[in-house]
Amino acid sequence: MDRNNIIKWLKFPGEMGQKYSLHALYFCTGCGIIEIPPTITTRWDAERFGVIPVSTPRQANLFLITGYVSVKTLRYIIRSYEQMPEPKYTVGFGSCPVNGGMYWDSYNTIKHLDKYIPVDGWIAGCMPRPEAVFVAVTHLWTLIDKGMANGYKKYREEYKQYRANQEQILGELEWPFLF
Amino acid sequence: MRELELYFGPQHLGMVGNFSITLNVEGDRIIKATANPGFLHRGFEKLMEQRTWIQNFPLVCRINVVEPDHMELMYAMAVEKLAGIEVPERAHFIRSIYLELARVGSHLFGLWAYANMLGFDTVANWAMYHRDLILDLFEELTGGRVYHIYIWPGGVRRDFPPGFKDRIVNTLHTIGSRVPDYNDTFFNNRVFHKRSKNIGKISLEQAVGMGAVGQVLRAAGMKQDIRKTETYAAYDKVEWEVHTRIEGDAYSRILVVRDEMIESVHMIFKLLDVIPEGEVYNRIPNPFKWKIPASETYVRCESSRGELGLYLVSNGEDKPYRAHFRTPSYNHGLTILEKALENESIADVGNIMISLYITAPEIDR
Amino acid sequence: MDNNITLLSEDLASSFDDIKIVFTDQRMIIMNCRKDSVISLLSYLKNLRYDHLALISCVDRIKENAFELIYILSAYTEDVVKGGINLIVKTELIRDKAEMDTVISVFENAEPYERELHELFGVYFKGHPRLTRLLLDREYPVPPFRKDFDTRKYVRDIFDNVPSVEVKKLKNERT
Repeated sequence: MDRNNIIKWLKFPGEMGQKYSLHALYFCTGCGIIEIPPTITTRWDAERFGVIPVSTPRQANLFLITGYVSVKTLRYIIRSYEQMPEPKYTVGFGSCPVNGGMYWDSYNTIKHLDKYIPVDGWIAGCMPRPEAVFVAVTHLWTLIDKGMANGYKKYREEYKQYRANQEQILGELEWPFLF
Repeated sequence: MRELELYFGPQHLGMVGNFSITLNVEGDRIIKATANPGFLHRGFEKLMEQRTWIQNFPLVCRINVVEPDHMELMYAMAVEKLAGIEVPERAHFIRSIYLELARVGSHLFGLWAYANMLGFDTVANWAMYHRDLILDLFEELTGGRVYHIYIWPGGVRRDFPPGFKDRIVNTLHTIGSRVPDYNDTFFNNRVFHKRSKNIGKISLEQAVGMGAVGQVLRAAGMKQDIRKTETYAAYDKVEWEVHTRIEGDAYSRILVVRDEMIESVHMIFKLLDVIPEGEVYNRIPNPFKWKIPASETYVRCESSRGELGLYLVSNGEDKPYRAHFRTPSYNHGLTILEKALENESIADVGNIMISLYITAPEIDR
Repeated sequence: MDNNITLLSEDLASSFDDIKIVFTDQRMIIMNCRKDSVISLLSYLKNLRYDHLALISCVDRIKENAFELIYILSAYTEDVVKGGINLIVKTELIRDKAEMDTVISVFENAEPYERELHELFGVYFKGHPRLTRLLLDREYPVPPFRKDFDTRKYVRDIFDNVPSVEVKKLKNERT
């Protein structure tokens, strides 16, 4: 560790500790789930980057949305996202959450994910390689350092707009307003 | 005792894939189970009607993520049957080798899921590592690890690169030399026997009445395999046998999977010995203006989960008129699962679901 | 295999007088029959040991104003010759009022296929125990797999009309 790093650890120990141990939620949302087991098992070990899968949203920090999102899944994604404690980060994995991808003319998938929940970064590809997940995690560290990975703050400020978009697609939502 | 309704829902540590089961329990016994599919529905068959015959190939292989190769084979075989295209001899052998490698990879993924469910993390890590070695072979041959668009109507897209045969043989020897370790650690383990014998039992009459195919049928006692009854590619050029068991519980299904994996490896070695030389594809007409005469057909094959079929209708235009896939997980997940979960305990739900080899994208398409 | 197919076609032509055999080749027989005689034909074939219902499908013939229902059967057997034969049974329904009796009494695994066709095409099956939603999440103006449902127009109307979220500049705590 060089001098800059030591100063950062002394000034913001909580942030540095949290940055190097992002716990990812185990939710297989779409096609991209086929490249997550190679990422977390021994060949491309994700634990050296601090990323391990956990079972409930209350213990998770990072939400990897792997693949396309259908209308039924969006309901559960919003529920899981709202249960995660802050600070939390979201990464869209694959080309389909970006703008619909290959299913741009399907009647059951949503096309732009960041109209419904805030997204901090995207990984392009169909499928991306496991090394792309590691590049994304290191980029996320840089963003956290600069204070620019603030999707959760956007959600808190603009909750009315997000909720209006969600209700426009899903109809009446049965859980109360979060903020 | 009171009756409760629980959700073994999409976000759960024991669920592989995006699928949900609603359980009505009383204490620890399940009274009724209802399957809720539909989380991965994209309307594939409607999307296929809006793209031309060649543009559908990248779309078709994304129906089942774990093993996309048999879907490409089905669509190519159906188009060849409607349009009357012949496939050269060497392409049949290359298709068989490619499909058997895909079958071994898919069975290793199923072994990862099942071993993780029971808590054997060591064996799960080994299985995923060996599957990665096979995906390296696919990457060298076709350019992609997961989605390789390699089978084409009229053959395959390109020939083996130089030295590829030796690399296949080396990889399979690496995997095959670890089979005694797998046997000692997992298949002969007392804990595995206690957790899977007599769990999820399906007798032969129940399997035949409810539409079971694949390992579920072979573990119940019937010796049927579509690679033998309705032969396609080069499966009639080598000697191989079909493995069956009698009991029909989760233990016999997993052992049938293991025996099929070993049989596939031997089949690849035998096919590599007798492969002939020649071309690998016959040219198709101009794909921008290709129209196929009006008729209909039904083709089927044996994917790693069971009978996979495609019903294709053409109207004389340059796009399909109707395509309907018959996937093996449809009956397993929606009819057999609800029957097999009655009177079992909650701890065995994931166990039975993965031993029936259900993949959620195949049900929803 | 030829022998088996010709024997079967002659047998069917003599037992039922209202079915028409449209196409045969080495492995497949396609036959048309009327809506009312489907159940008796399927039970007759099941007694001849063709007891695997592989698929129930539906094709929307909008120009002739009809739906075509297709039942595909094959055999559960260890015999290599008989196991490779596929039988395709087709009937026609009127498009505006599509109703059909359920075949669950003959084949138990027809239940999810008929549920899916009800949802995606709008065909009503009389006597089905559970015709609820299987794959879809909401109501559509026209059942989505019919030919007069335009998916691209639906996407433009519903999904592209959702506005993007505008964010005011957030105060950055660190800089």
